[in-house]
Amino acid sequence: MPVSTSFLRVVVLVLGLSGIGPSVITPVASVSAQTQPKQQEEFIPVDQLPPQEQLPAAPLLIAAYTFVLLMLFGYMFTVSRRLNAIQGEVDRLDRDLKKSGRA
Amino acid sequence: MTKWFFYATLLCAAMFAISPFVIANAPYESTMGLVQKVFYYHMPSAWMFLTASVVCGIASARFLITGDSRHDRTAWAAAEMAVLFGLLTLVTGPLWARKAWGTWWIWDARITSSLVGWMIAWAYLILRQYGGPGSEKLAAGLALFGTANVPFIYISVNYWRTIHPATTVVPKLPFSMGFPLWFCVSAFTLLLVVLMKLRVRVAEQQARLDAIYLSLDEEA
Repeated sequence: MPVSTSFLRVVVLVLGLSGIGPSVITPVASVSAQTQPKQQEEFIPVDQLPPQEQLPAAPLLIAAYTFVLLMLFGYMFTVSRRLNAIQGEVDRLDRDLKKSGRA
Repeated sequence: MTKWFFYATLLCAAMFAISPFVIANAPYESTMGLVQKVFYYHMPSAWMFLTASVVCGIASARFLITGDSRHDRTAWAAAEMAVLFGLLTLVTGPLWARKAWGTWWIWDARITSSLVGWMIAWAYLILRQYGGPGSEKLAAGLALFGTANVPFIYISVNYWRTIHPATTVVPKLPFSMGFPLWFCVSAFTLLLVVLMKLRVRVAEQQARLDAIYLSLDEEA
């Protein structure tokens, strides 16, 4: 479509020359200029991170306490289960021995 | 289980339930802020880890000298406590360090020797579990090394360069920070006693069961 391509080129040229084009394009360009960070020409070191970038302490603290309590409860639960299982087996053997008259 | 065990368990549970409120009322530390409050569970865990390691070593030595299986059962229970409280120490420490030091882990003398002590306790348990007949004496010998490591863990922060707080921190604590710490130390000590008693009871019942099976085999 050579006709339509050359027609478009003419429209763009006319718009550009008449000043309509820049008035449409300029706001977009200015927005992009505002959002893009400025190009860095050097790195400046700081001793402290800005507050908004510092690691929050609360999740670490909560994780520590939760871990301790979960592990302690978990261990207590497993020991209780082991004890009940052994106790049950001892009782069962005692009963069996009494039934057979060996105890 | 005796009556004192029931009351001790009840008291221990109550102390652990109250501890978050006691810790919340403690002031913030000037340089570390909120994350320093990990200290109130981290340090008692570490002390119980060291206590359990010492108990394991003493009981093992007594077992090696006398051959009394009661000491062996105590040593086995204490080794399990050392693994449990060592794990709590080695997990809560990095959670604190990540914020306070900016890193999860450093290979300083205290942390490294604590890790070694914890691995010795693990080695004891693995040996007891899979070592077969006679492993109790080998494990008892190993426990002596675990106990010998304890003073090294404690004093290491005073003799080697580290960012770990020194042992002088605790005696210098103001009452507002000392009270929550000693409250938690009491709760953890009581917990260690309760868990040890429970674990020794498991070992006693297991020994009783083994004796019954042995007598049945002999009769058959």
